[in-house]
Amino acid sequence: MTEPAVTARAFFEKARGGQLTAIRCGSCGELAMPPKELCPNCHAHQWQPVALTGDGTIASFTVIRVAPRAHAADVPYAVAVVRLKEGVSVLGRIVDIPLEKLAIGLAVRFRPLIGKDLTTSVGFGPT
Amino acid sequence: MRRVAVIGVGVTKFGLHDRTSAELFAEAARDALTDAGVSAGAVQALYYGNVVGGETEHQLHTGPQAASVLGIPSVPTTRFETACASSHAAFRHAVMEIAAGVSDVILVGGAERVLNVSTAESTEYFAYASDAVWEQPLGLTFPGVFALIARAHMQKHGTTEAQMAAVAVKNHRHGALNPKAQFQKPITIEQVLKSAYVADPLKLFDCCPFSDGGAAVVLASEEVARKHRKPVWVLGSAAASDWMLLGDKRDLSRVPATERAAAAAYRQAGIGPSDVDVVELHDCFTIAEIVATEGLGLFEPGAGGRAAEKGLTGLGGEIPVNPSGGLKAKGHPIGATGAAQVAEIVTQLRGEAGPRQVDGARKGLTHTLGGNTATVLVSLFGRD
Repeated sequence: MTEPAVTARAFFEKARGGQLTAIRCGSCGELAMPPKELCPNCHAHQWQPVALTGDGTIASFTVIRVAPRAHAADVPYAVAVVRLKEGVSVLGRIVDIPLEKLAIGLAVRFRPLIGKDLTTSVGFGPT
Repeated sequence: MRRVAVIGVGVTKFGLHDRTSAELFAEAARDALTDAGVSAGAVQALYYGNVVGGETEHQLHTGPQAASVLGIPSVPTTRFETACASSHAAFRHAVMEIAAGVSDVILVGGAERVLNVSTAESTEYFAYASDAVWEQPLGLTFPGVFALIARAHMQKHGTTEAQMAAVAVKNHRHGALNPKAQFQKPITIEQVLKSAYVADPLKLFDCCPFSDGGAAVVLASEEVARKHRKPVWVLGSAAASDWMLLGDKRDLSRVPATERAAAAAYRQAGIGPSDVDVVELHDCFTIAEIVATEGLGLFEPGAGGRAAEKGLTGLGGEIPVNPSGGLKAKGHPIGATGAAQVAEIVTQLRGEAGPRQVDGARKGLTHTLGGNTATVLVSLFGRD
């Protein structure tokens, strides 16, 4: 039996401490995040965890003004797809950047967001 | 493989209803059976689309429930859930069952009821079609998904908010010609541009409404269909999927699942985009129509916004898109949408669409997208 290189739970535990983790395929070198069972490129199961810097740039963003119930108190808030320096992308909530300063290409840095229910999610703030 | 035809269609009015989704489906199904001229006893299976029944109506097991409410409890029934593409997925599987020779007559349809809950609740339930671990906790909404796509398309191709508004204006103009549409009133570019932002750069009038409604179509084998007055043949029906997570999609200005499903459907039908006379496509947001017209090969990548602005996709234009009013004006009861699109194309190819008829339409296309662009279905139709 092989354990997953990084489970979602392990990812968020590391993220809580400020560390973003990806996985690299030992067979073809593909970098992936979040964790997947099989490499989408070569279908091997030879993942190794890789620590990421957390630095990236905004690939696209939006300011959400009509929110699901659980986020209604937060509006307006921004979410962005961030292209990380290492080449993988992830969706995150933007924090501590004025909404009018947001732009595609803007440099941002990962920061963990701890929710009221103590869960961790992916955030990005100024570098 | 056997040829398959659509021989009957039925659609409820879309909008606010005080009936359950199963009742809405049953109304559409009875109309479809009457239109087909076949008795309910001839139906050998029901393929059904419904998405948020569990949330808005506390109803799971919606397939047999819909069959029971219609009054055909003993046929094999399966509920499909591929977010907003659910009844198009149901349609494709029914086509395959008839093509394979298993059944001769199948009822396909879907229904949704969401206007019995608040906008905040339905916004939350629709967001369930995004990833629950990685995206929902960030407060991502469906307008948010398409806003991210819109911003990427604007950056890459220079698409403007006015071009997106042109899609809304065109679809409302079409919807005004459709007595089943939720909105039957023309709107102006200024109204769209002045409406409030929902998820920048998308404004309220860039978004389709929440809707209640039902739709149904009757599919038949060639042998049965030949007895019908105007069978409309299924020339191809294909599905494609893509990554769930937005971060995994390499180019947010494109919808690869649309491109793959379209390529497969065109291959099955032995035709190309230039052979298509009329299109019903998934305009859940104005930008979604622009990106879909590109993915279906109707326009070059990046040219969809300019095409909309020039009026090429309006009735009387080069390639009329969403003569029904589309999701934008006709409405979007998500479980019913795929079947309703088929109903419109069949009506168009029969030449029975009245004031919104595309003159001389011989070949039509339907395109339905599920949620965060991770599901797309494309089907092609032709008349004798």
